[in-house]
Parts: sequence; C-alpha cells; structure tokens
Amino acid sequence: MHTIELLRDGFASALSWAHLLWALAGVTLGTTVGMLPGIGPALTVALLLPITFNLDPTSAFIMFGGIYYGAMYGGSTTSILLNTPGETASIATAIDGYAMARQGRGAAALTTAAIGSFVAGTLATVALTFFSPLLASVALRFGPAEYFALAVLAFTTVSALIGGSLVRGVFSLCLGLALGLIGIDQLTGDARFAFGIPQLLDGIDVLILVIGLFAVGETFYQAWHHGRDAPEVIALQTFTGMSREDWSRSWRPWLRGTAIGFPLGVLPVGGSVIPTFLSYSVEKRLSARPEEFGHGAIEGVAGPEAANNAAAAGVLVPLLTLGLPSSATAAVLLAAFQQYGLQPGPLLFSSRPDLVWTLIASLYIGNVMLLVLNLPLAGVWARVMLVPRPLLFGGILVLASLGTYSLNSSLLDVVLLFVTGTIGCVMRVYDVPLVPAVLGLVLGPLAELQFRRALAISEGDLTVFVTRPLCATLLAVSAVALIAPVLFRERRA
Amino acid sequence: MRLRPRHFAVAAAVTLVVAAPSLAQPAVDELRIIAPAAPGGGWDQTARVMQQALQRAGLVRIAPVENVPGAAGTIGLARFIGAEAGRRDVVMVSGLIMLGGIVTHRSPVTLHDVTALARLTGEYEVIAVPVASPFRTLRDLLDAFTTRPESISWGGGSAGGSDQILAGLVADAVGVAPSRVNYIAFSGGGESLSAILGGQVSVGINGLAEFAPQIEAGTLRPLAISSGERLPGVDVPTLREQGLPIEFENWRSLVAPPGLVGADRARLESLIAAMVASEPWREALQRYRWLDRYLAGDAFTRFAAGEETRVRDVLGKFAAGQDDTGTAPEPYPWLVIAGLVTTGALLARQVVRSARGQSANTGPGRAPVVLLAAAAVLHLLLLERAGFVLAAAVLFWLAARAFDPRHPIRDGMFAVGMSVCAYVLFARVLHLSLPAGLLAGWL
Repeated sequence: MHTIELLRDGFASALSWAHLLWALAGVTLGTTVGMLPGIGPALTVALLLPITFNLDPTSAFIMFGGIYYGAMYGGSTTSILLNTPGETASIATAIDGYAMARQGRGAAALTTAAIGSFVAGTLATVALTFFSPLLASVALRFGPAEYFALAVLAFTTVSALIGGSLVRGVFSLCLGLALGLIGIDQLTGDARFAFGIPQLLDGIDVLILVIGLFAVGETFYQAWHHGRDAPEVIALQTFTGMSREDWSRSWRPWLRGTAIGFPLGVLPVGGSVIPTFLSYSVEKRLSARPEEFGHGAIEGVAGPEAANNAAAAGVLVPLLTLGLPSSATAAVLLAAFQQYGLQPGPLLFSSRPDLVWTLIASLYIGNVMLLVLNLPLAGVWARVMLVPRPLLFGGILVLASLGTYSLNSSLLDVVLLFVTGTIGCVMRVYDVPLVPAVLGLVLGPLAELQFRRALAISEGDLTVFVTRPLCATLLAVSAVALIAPVLFRERRA
Repeated sequence: MRLRPRHFAVAAAVTLVVAAPSLAQPAVDELRIIAPAAPGGGWDQTARVMQQALQRAGLVRIAPVENVPGAAGTIGLARFIGAEAGRRDVVMVSGLIMLGGIVTHRSPVTLHDVTALARLTGEYEVIAVPVASPFRTLRDLLDAFTTRPESISWGGGSAGGSDQILAGLVADAVGVAPSRVNYIAFSGGGESLSAILGGQVSVGINGLAEFAPQIEAGTLRPLAISSGERLPGVDVPTLREQGLPIEFENWRSLVAPPGLVGADRARLESLIAAMVASEPWREALQRYRWLDRYLAGDAFTRFAAGEETRVRDVLGKFAAGQDDTGTAPEPYPWLVIAGLVTTGALLARQVVRSARGQSANTGPGRAPVVLLAAAAVLHLLLLERAGFVLAAAVLFWLAARAFDPRHPIRDGMFAVGMSVCAYVLFARVLHLSLPAGLLAGWL
C-alpha cells in the first residue's frame, strides 16, 4: 500500500538516536509545562515552540509531536492528584481520579491514564494515517444544526451524572447555564449580563469555575469539616501499578473512549469536553457497578483519558487534510508549520509529503515516549498524597490562584475563583452535584449559539432540525439515550 | 511539596535552550509585547513573529509575549490603559478589528486613550464561495442578494470584525441596508472556514492568507478581493473592477501606553523602524503572506482617524435597522433564570425542612472558616499591590494554619519556598506575567 510505504519513509527519517532524544525532550517539556496550573495545551505549545526554531525541520517536527501529546497528557496528573484540572479535557478525569488518589490508588489512576492515553493515541494516529481525507469530508457536513444536535446529545449525559436528587441536579445544571449567559452574544456582539464590567465581556472561563468548584471548594470544605471528623488517613497501596482487576476493568473503556474521542475530535467545533463526558457517562451506563462512579471507579479515569487523547489526534485530521485549525492548540501548530515553509491546506500532503509523513511518524514515537516517561513516574507522583494536609491544601490554593491569574492576568478572575470556591463548598455541604454546573456552562452557550445560527441560516425555519438527515439522526439518538434508561428501569421494577 | 527538584531541572533545561541564541548585547534589554487575543489568532501570531524578529535581529534581549484575550481586544485595551500607563517597555498589538470591537461592544476606552506607534501589516479580504456553489461570479451573488438580501447567509469572523465590516460595505455599495445582511458570525478562522467549505453558508469572507491554500487547491472559488489593484500571482478580480468602489484591508498596528512622549516615544519608534527593516521580519512577512504596510508618525494617525470614521459609519448602519424592527427579547436567558430560581427555591425548602430536626451544625469548624476567609481576602488585596510572592505566601500560611496550627514555622518556610519557586518558574523562566510588587528589585 502506498500509505504504508510513505509512513515507512517517515519513520526512516524520524528514527535515529538524536531524534529519539528530541522526542523525549519534547514529551518531558510538554508534560511538565502542561502540568502547571493555568497553562493549557495551546499556551504550552506556544511557549515551547521557539525552542524548536533553531533545529532542522525533522528534529523540530519530532519535538512538536512530543510537545503536543505531552501537553495534552500533562493536565491529567494535576487533575488526579490535586483535583485541579489544568484544561477542560481533564475535568472528567478529576471526578474519579481524585477519589482514587484519596484512597491511595493514585498510582493505579495515573497508570490507567498513561496506558489509556498511549492506546488511544496510537489507535487514533493509525486512524489518522489511513482515513484522514474520508473523515475530513464527513466533518464538513456538520453545520450549525448538527452541532446543536450534538450538544443536545451531550446534554443527555448530564442525566447520568445528576445523582440521587433531581432538584439538586437540575439546580446545579441551571447554575451552570446561568453563568454561561454572561458575556458577549457572539451572533450580535451585544453584551449580556456583564453588568458593565469589561472582564466579564468574554464570559466566565470554564477553568475558573472548575478549579473554583473542585479544588478551592474541596479545600474550604475540608477545612470546615476539620476537627469534626477524624482526618482520613491515606495509606498508599503497596502495589504501585494496576492490579489484575484494574486491567480487566480498564481495557474496554480505553477502546470505547478511543472510539468516542477520535471522531468527535475530528469535528471542528466543541472542544474536548463533549468526548470526555460522553465517554464518562457511557462507562457509567455500561458498568455493572454504577454506584462506584464518583467514588473512585477506575473506568471513570480510563475512558475519558483515552477519549481525550484520541480527540487530540482527531484535531490533526482537519488540520493536515484541510488546513483547518479547529482548536487554539491546532492554530498554534499551524503557525509553527509555516515557520518551515509548510503551507497547511488541502495541498499539504502532495506538496511536502516528506515533512508530513515525518510528523505523523513522530506522533507514534511521541506516544511511546509518553508511556516510557510516565509509567515509572506514576508511583512517584502518587506520593504527593503523603504530603501533610496543611501543606497539601495550602499548596493547592496557591496553585489554583496562580493558574487562574495566569489565564488572563486579571484580578477579577481570582475573585471569581474564591467566590466559586465558596459556592462549591456550600454545594458539597448540601450534597448538590458539581458536574452538571460545569456541563451547563460549557454546553449551554454552545447549544444556544448553534441553534440560533442554524435558524439564522434557514431564515427562521424550524424544520432544518428534522430535514437534515445527520441532524435528525443525532436528535433521535439523544431521545433514545434519554428515554431508554427510564423504560428499562420500569420494566425491571 | 515534592515537585520541586524536577521543576528546577526542567527550568534549568528551558533556560539553557531559550537563552542560548541571544549572547550579543542588544540595544534594549526587555520589551513586553501584549497580544489582546488568545494564542493562535492573527494578533497572537503578529506578537510572536515580532518576538522572534526582535530577538533574532539582536534589537532586544528578551521580548516576552503576554496574551490578554477577549471581546475583540477591548478587554486587553482596557487592561493596557489601566495597568501599563506610564511604562516605557511595553507595546500592544492592535488594529482594525479593535476599532470594530470598540464600536460593537460599546467599549468605554478607545484607541485615542493610548499612544499610536505604527501600522505594521495588512491583509486583503476575499469573498469566496465553495466550488459547488451556483454563484459563478460576484454579479450572480449580488443579483440574488439585491433580490432578497436575507436569503444570502454571509459567513465570517466575530461580530464587528473585518469580515462583517466588508459585508456591510458591499451591501451599502449595492444599495441594500447593511442591517438586512444575514451575517453569521463564527469564532476564529477554523470554524468559519469549515462552514464555508461545507456549504453551510451561502458565501464566506476571510483574509487572503486563510483562503489562499483553499483557492490553490480548487476547493473555494474566489469572487472578489478587496485590494485596489490585482495582486501579482493572485488571479482574483478586485471589487473595484467589478463596479464596487471599495478598497479595504485588515490592518494590524502597534500601540504604546498612554502618555508616552519625547525620548521614550522616539526610542520605541526607532526600535520598530529597525525591526520592520530586519531580515527575520521580512522573512516572516513572506511566510505568513502579510503585506508590509509599515506607516508611522502623523501619516498613521491620519490614516487611523479615517478608518475609525468608516468603521463607525458602517457598523452604525448594521445596528440601525435592527433596533427599529423591535426584535423580541430572546426567550432562552429568561428560561434559564426561571429554572434557576424555581429549583433554587425548591432546594431551599428541602434544606430548611431537613434542618429543622437537627441542631445547627457549625461548631468546631468556625475557626478554620475565619482563617480561610482572611487568607482569601488578604490574598486578593495583596496580589497586585504587594506582588504575587507575598500574596501567595500569606494564602499558603493562613490556609495551612486553618488545618493545623501547630507548625507555624514549618508552614511559613514552605509558604515562602513555594511562592518564590512558583514565581521564579512562571515569571523568570517561562516569562509569563505575575505581579512582582514590593519585591520587584530582589527577584
């Protein structure tokens, strides 16, 4: 096959000791900087790119591969250990990952995240190698109506995460939706609910809400409880990797996460929240022990982490085949390609096949390096939980503030951080689930915007949502996802 | 925290690699460049290309880029005026889109509040359709548009941006009220380009650089370009030669903080003049297909004033008709708020009922809450006044004491250690901005 030969040439130019060292350096830097709070993948790549400008194109591309996958992976470590997701992609991971770390199973969580990322990254890169043009043409058939249907489908995942009390779950969701109203209405450019404060014009950053509700809220809650309950004693499990049971519970979520993450990553809208949470809710639905979710179910880490990395590979499909940057990170990569005279676009594969295939080969290498680097470290990182509680929580607060301030250099963001932290603490006290609020903030504006865009294009004709086959199918699937569990439960009862 | 040795190792590695190429003694030690947009966009690219050019040409030892994204750059502008007034070592990227943003978002601050330095680059806009479109020429498109304006959906970048301005200018020129343009705003180049390629909108407007690869590959059909004359190597008819008297470009410029005068201003101006003449800058222009539109001094001030009038005029016409039609308020926001209030009331009732049976359960938890509240308030008060290091150390120390008051000295040492390390890593190694405050001279 032609593709295989080209890929072999790519590997031939990528595989040398010097190149492998560059790959290792890229993965190490990408993971480390990506792990820092407030520095998401886009900024990580933008900060580290100048380093590669002094290298020859092949070495530079090898390093890009490492930096990109490293940056995408880095966020999961802080998510699992400190409950402080560094980017939206690792929010879902924090739910069960942090619970596992508190039970002394941090190493298992980190290991399943690392192996899951490797499996997903590799499978997705294979899919990228062989099916890019086909996938890209399908992605272009998604218009505003389809994206609206996709957001509706994602909303059905909320129903799986709403918890025991409907009132509490819906309240949390509405809180997120309400926060999502703040900021400029993208279609008209008018400010809504910004109360004349310029920093609110761009809306509330989902990361501030997440770090506030999760990390700061948890710290406040623990402090409030302190002295009333005996502090929990964290005993690290003697076995630092994954047990046999962990393996048998992880491998299916890895594969399902890949299958969910990759196609959704190819779509140029929506980011990584939808694939990770879809994966999370699918795992919860399929699990024999759904009650463990939220209290340290390893499937809840394995699935979303795989989905996250598969989506990261999916983002490269429209970038390489059509020259479409569908995320901020992709836009930074695109600018980097231009440094080497690579003009991204439909002609990229035919104009500079040597560089493109070297890049693809280096993605495989970067994935292997990521595993080599992170597996041995999982046991080391897990020891963070042994840090005395005052120092651990003091450190978490400083990291949360640092991360928030470095997002936009805005003091108001840090104020919002502590306000949402207080809200998060109160929600914990009254047993209100936190995740629906996060999903509401992410999905609400997306659904509203796409709905109105679709209507503007159709000049107000509501039938677009049923006459477009793809859109109608997605809406039907969401209806089934919402109704089926109810029907099943009634039949069982 | 046990993360530190590793952070140091990486910090050292980054410093070595980053610092290596700049050994010669440049004229200016540090120039901060603010990109009022997220990484990846045109302003961010301009800032990062400037960083490269200034450092490589040996004009500046170090030129860190800082992103302050949001609202077409007006958030960055407000912050630039507030936080950087009086400074002489910082510039911000600006341009036509910021003019649009100021009008659209009714910004309280404008470009008159800062010191204009120079126009740097320009990019012509292209009107294009997918190859499968029934519109073969601009005439086809405009015929359909003038017959029933709303049936044509125009896809482009954010509301009030260069793409929408051009759509408005075209409508105005063919006698259609700009308020009747069915403009669909997308965020970012990728999103609008995919909608145009996929035929989700009737016609697309975007910069030449973003459309050029698609035009070369034959996936898009260009109908018109906004330049005055045909560009060499770009076989696209201009708007002017098709009977529309429009010449338009998306220009990007540089501004300095308010009140920069005399020698300080001259110093920055000569630095920019040296940069645009440097080899790395010329190479970058070619790579990104930007036009060299360097214009400084009074000529630039006059140009900017003319552009402002034009932008205000056309965006005013966009808004004009829409207020008259009396569009009903959107139902969605009010639905959400109603849902929040209803569920909140239900939840409050549940909580009150279940609490009636129990005694109030505050007690041992009160002291930590007071300590944490004090920690948060002090942190916020100190952050931009006394600097990150002091504010973070106070936050850490008080929070640690909320959990266990028995080790004040140990906690204090860790608080100072962690704050200093975090500051050095972010501000000195990665060159991200953190307030230095009182310790500015020491760190």
